[in-house]
Amino acid sequence: MIDWYFSHIVLIQSTLTTLLLALSVQVPLRAGVFSFAGVGCYGIGGYIAAIGMVHYGLSTATAILLAAVAGGVVAYALGLLIQRLTGLYLAMATVAFTLIISVLVVNGGDLTGGAAGLFGALGMLDTGHLLAVAAVVVAALTFTELGPLGRRVEAVREDPELASAMGINVARYRRATFAVSGVLGGLAGSMTVLLRSTVTPDDINFHLVVLALTIIIVGGSRSWIGALVGTVIFVWMPEMLAFVGEWEDVVYGVLVAAAAVYLPGGVTGAVVDGYRTYRRKRRETADSPPDAPPPQPAAAAVGGDS
Amino acid sequence: MAQHILNAVALGSVYLVFALGMALAWSTIGILNFAHGATFMFSAFTAHVVTQHVALPMPAVVLVAVAAGALIATLTQVLAFGPIMRRATDHRSAELRILIGGIGVAAIPLAIAERVTASAPFGFRGSTYQAQVFEIAGLRMTTTVLVIVVAGIGIGVGVWRWLATSRQGLALRAIGVDSETASLMGVDRSTLALGTMATAGALAGLAGALLTFQLGAIAPASGDQLLIKAFAIVVLGGLGSMGGVIVGAFVLAGAETFVLAMNQGTWVDAVSFGLIFAVLLLRPQGLFGRKEVRRT
Amino acid sequence: MVSGTVEDVGEARDAAATECVLRAADVAVHFGGVKAVDGVSIELTAGRIFGVLGPNGSGKSTLLAALTRLVPLTRGSLEFEGRRYDTVRPHTIAARGVARTFQTVRILPGRTVFDNVALGAESAGSAGKAERSRARQRVRTAIERTGLAGKERHRPDELSYGYQRRVEIARAIASEPTLLLLDEPTAGMNRQERDDITGLLGDLRGEGLTQLLIEHDVQMMVEACDHLFAMNFGELIAGGEPEAVVRHPAVQEAYLGTQGRAHA
Ligand SMILES: Nc1ncnc2c1ncn2[C@@H]1O[C@H](COP(=O)(O)OP(=O)(O)O)[C@@H](O)[C@H]1O
Ligand SMILES: [Mg+2]
Repeated sequence: MIDWYFSHIVLIQSTLTTLLLALSVQVPLRAGVFSFAGVGCYGIGGYIAAIGMVHYGLSTATAILLAAVAGGVVAYALGLLIQRLTGLYLAMATVAFTLIISVLVVNGGDLTGGAAGLFGALGMLDTGHLLAVAAVVVAALTFTELGPLGRRVEAVREDPELASAMGINVARYRRATFAVSGVLGGLAGSMTVLLRSTVTPDDINFHLVVLALTIIIVGGSRSWIGALVGTVIFVWMPEMLAFVGEWEDVVYGVLVAAAAVYLPGGVTGAVVDGYRTYRRKRRETADSPPDAPPPQPAAAAVGGDS
Repeated sequence: MAQHILNAVALGSVYLVFALGMALAWSTIGILNFAHGATFMFSAFTAHVVTQHVALPMPAVVLVAVAAGALIATLTQVLAFGPIMRRATDHRSAELRILIGGIGVAAIPLAIAERVTASAPFGFRGSTYQAQVFEIAGLRMTTTVLVIVVAGIGIGVGVWRWLATSRQGLALRAIGVDSETASLMGVDRSTLALGTMATAGALAGLAGALLTFQLGAIAPASGDQLLIKAFAIVVLGGLGSMGGVIVGAFVLAGAETFVLAMNQGTWVDAVSFGLIFAVLLLRPQGLFGRKEVRRT
Repeated sequence: MVSGTVEDVGEARDAAATECVLRAADVAVHFGGVKAVDGVSIELTAGRIFGVLGPNGSGKSTLLAALTRLVPLTRGSLEFEGRRYDTVRPHTIAARGVARTFQTVRILPGRTVFDNVALGAESAGSAGKAERSRARQRVRTAIERTGLAGKERHRPDELSYGYQRRVEIARAIASEPTLLLLDEPTAGMNRQERDDITGLLGDLRGEGLTQLLIEHDVQMMVEACDHLFAMNFGELIAGGEPEAVVRHPAVQEAYLGTQGRAHA
């Protein structure tokens, strides 16, 4: 066990940081906002943490905090700027935002280290810290998925007009998801960089956008559990697919395409649907005398999905 | 100066052919194909492999790439987008799933090409084609550039006029504007989708062959970059306007050439990203697009 | 009824003493060249059921969208409980106490009946424990009153269309609104179900809830409403005491299909 842990420590740590990155795209998507701003903030956070440590000698905690705040502020401002866009247009505007950041850091001179990037930003981070941050984030997100807030977020996604007719300030929810995704992206980026000790412009690329998106689509986009499942699948796939060797990327492509076609709710969505069908079947057989009283719901109904 | 303009026109012609295919599928059957860049790359790669075995003349190389592009896009439609469109319940989830499906499909040819070439650039050295250099009015020009410009502008204007005036073009535009009315008009959506995708793929293949001839070689990863540039072009021109794609392609090529000529090479990519951002912010319907960006 | 194009029939203007809940003056909504609503003025007084009759496409749903701020006004003004609201955003007016149902069922597909109704009861953004238990109570009441008891845990796709419509209504009344706007709430229901719903609306009126009801069934509207408006081509063609409105020549004409030439 201990041996296994030390030989897989890089994968374990990158599972946790990648989870945060995936969540930075999932949070807005769950409210119907198709934004990749979180990935841009991953880049911003990574560079802010590296600059803070290399040029200003910040402590690890300060650097991460600064990165998270900067990510949130930048994403929120971006959200204000482009709040009129929806769907693919919003998606591509935020992809453009993300890629512009990579061009900016190439041209950032000594501050960003240009095309070579920055070195020597090794933070005092261990798996325990990462786990703690991930746990806090997941707990907070669970709160937004359950109960009244979860219902409102779902209404904002499924039918914004209905949501606003129900008294929900849809625009405010959308802007809030930008800020949250920025914070998550900033956390993910800064912690990744401080673990690796380096950051280069090539770290912020289109592939990162693709990775975050495929994780939540394959895992499931409705809950952090989906993001976790997807993260585990994609981070550990090279390990698990060692037997296919160089064809790993082909398998990756086939998996993603197949998920898009056959698993609209991702792996977790398929499991939940299967469970519901099973429960309904059971209830139908239990209900078979038509005038039998249906199962009494009131007490359990509050938390929503159980 | 004139040399720069000539470079911009050649680059713009390749952009045009590539972006035209993307715009065609997106504005009519609503498919933003994220495998379009991979189709482009893999068509050229197929032609590369063929020329390693048979010494083909230029037109034959182009033909191989065009056929490969059409085939890849058709397969993509049959295996991924078609099933998604049949299964999706609402437009928004279909849009997202088509995007993801395209990303997945794109990974496959990229992985194959990168493995075979070890990620090194590839070209058509096996072809019998030799570029001739000649000078017109002090401008150094190659036959390759001439072919590219003629093909690019010819096809661009051709597709634009065809869509605007022919019966099939009308049917396609009808489906882009309102698929229900179109199906009432007796337009068969899935056949049309297949034909459109094949055409779009053929255009990607053509662009792949042309760019490889001009640059000498392209890298397997060049498809993704081109994809984002094409998006910038379509957004700038305005979705639904083929004339807009023509303008957008040359504007982007011109701007990029200008940045290069100013010796600001590291900023070249920012042109397309910045363009996407600025256009969506200031004029989301693009220069010539339909007034309203579709409500979601 | 200020607009000159409206003919008041029967019943005289309501006594000035009655409190006016909503006032819309010269409201117009144009979609490009389509004048979906064109110069409609109405006043809704407290505790009564108002009805809107009109052929398909006459602008009834668009009027409701205008009253709930879901479409921008081309012109005109809106006032709720004495405050202008023609520039506020839709959630604001909903939070002030205007609830509505939609002509097509719009409920969250992945959520239970309870959750969907709860969306109406608590969306004002309630935090405290006491407030949450009050909201839960409102949900239960709404579910019982709409005949959904026992179906709380069902998902929309397990319900018949009639029951899905009841969820819409339950969600609207769960917010305990001051004004309830209903867009064809009984469409697709059978006679018995319709009677249930009109009975419910009558009860709600008894409790002082002001309502604006859109329906096609003329007989039902005459029975259920205290006051009728009739629309055609985006304009009010009559308003007043129900029996009189139904007999009004312009209304007869609109319903008998000779309307085309008269208003073209
Ligand atoms: N969003 C819209 N865009 C364009 N036209 C619309 C829109 N909504 C409604 N209309 C048009 O406005 C008119 C009135 O529609 P509606 O209010 O739904 O009528 P009703 O509810 O009385 O059947 C119709 O001609 C309809 O086609
Ligand atoms: Mg209607």
